[in-house]
Amino acid sequence: MDVAAAIIFGTEIWMGIGALVAVVFLIWGIDQIDEDAQGAYVFRPLLIPGILLIWPLVLWRWSVLTQGRDAEQTRYRPNRRIHGRIALAMPVVLGLVIVVGLSARQQWPGDIAPVQLADP
Amino acid sequence: MSVKYIPVQWNPNKWLYDAALIVGVGLFLWVFLYVTPETLSHDFPINPQIHNARAFGACAFVMLTVILCIGPLARIHPRFLPLLYNRRHFGVLTSFVALTHAGYILGWYFAFSPSDRIEGLLSANTSYAQIAGFPFEIFGVVALLILLVLAATSHDFWLKFLTPPVWKRLHLAVYVAYAAVVAHVAWGILLDQQNHLVTVIFIACAALVAGLHLWAALLDRGVSVPDDAAWLPVGDATEIADGRARITLLPDGNRVAVFRQGQALSAIANACAHQNGPLGEGRVIDCLVTCPWHGFQYDVTNGRSPAPFTEKVPTYNLRLDGPRVLVDPKANPPGTPVEPLSIAHLLEATP
Repeated sequence: MDVAAAIIFGTEIWMGIGALVAVVFLIWGIDQIDEDAQGAYVFRPLLIPGILLIWPLVLWRWSVLTQGRDAEQTRYRPNRRIHGRIALAMPVVLGLVIVVGLSARQQWPGDIAPVQLADP
Repeated sequence: MSVKYIPVQWNPNKWLYDAALIVGVGLFLWVFLYVTPETLSHDFPINPQIHNARAFGACAFVMLTVILCIGPLARIHPRFLPLLYNRRHFGVLTSFVALTHAGYILGWYFAFSPSDRIEGLLSANTSYAQIAGFPFEIFGVVALLILLVLAATSHDFWLKFLTPPVWKRLHLAVYVAYAAVVAHVAWGILLDQQNHLVTVIFIACAALVAGLHLWAALLDRGVSVPDDAAWLPVGDATEIADGRARITLLPDGNRVAVFRQGQALSAIANACAHQNGPLGEGRVIDCLVTCPWHGFQYDVTNGRSPAPFTEKVPTYNLRLDGPRVLVDPKANPPGTPVEPLSIAHLLEATP
């Protein structure tokens, strides 16, 4: 199995586990941890893609909420300092990417005349 | 707001916002495909499939650029706040446009062989050890995956479930996605350009995103408070406009919004429980402040959303030191009622 096939196989496994988590969570778990979801069913299919993609995070939060370990105070602490770091990082990263990308252009051999290798 | 979840919480403003988005996307694609094909220049003849792929790819890049400009613009001037109001729908639409671009690519470049299309995409170019000719496709795959995760976790349920700080951290990945898109374009389509108009537009977009973020960060610079302050000064009580707030930075990095309603002051956390929007930039009407980002409301005397909603934010204690208002930096638990601080005598003494 080459790397590309292995990546696809790994993705299928990931999605398969995500599908199992989605079934159990959306049918049973969500009602246990969120009162706003009780009796609300139409919106649940919208959550399936998210669960498929980030099911480990879903399992972690599900466990935290089920065990009552959620720190209520931290809900109101936005990480504002990160904006400053992003503001500094953006020009550096974007500038570097553009400069390196454009300076590493491959030159197409446009000035070489075509050669017929065989009769048509 | 909460109560029972529904698929999409529409209101007239969101209809308007989304209609403008869809018209904008349609207009961009029409201009790209039918009005300016010569100006945008495709140096080698291309078929409609590739032309469509480029149109949707360019559209996704421009949309992502606009999305990333909205945040700093709203911090620079409140007039841009309406753009922030429904940015999640903007993001979801961007994901669909990017997905369409990927669909056209897979449906043309990898459609005519017996092997799996995704497998073909991942194995067509594996020159990861060199800069020139680096497989630019992988940058696009990374960006698309991130955009899909962000779109898939955009429902209000995810905000409550993950908590706003975790949700925000997850959605900060949009910056990684943008850097990946920039690399995808720089190593991809730009290598094919002899007409430099597209290159100039592309660099201008990236510079705009970086520049606006720097500008917004500079506005926040220099705001600091002592680490061990007991009660912090907010300012002169009479200088706070009726129905408005003064926002003060606390030693722990949080912000408190001190509101005046008539002859009394109340203080709540500045971060909305929904997406941590700036409550202090909202107006108080009948004890309720409305978050300027998404319209969530809170009673400023107890930090609670009006029934039947259940959101709560922390409250803070206030006291006067002469005409100055002081705030206790230790927050009360979310939803704790605090008696408003009367400043009637100060207002009467003010000419």
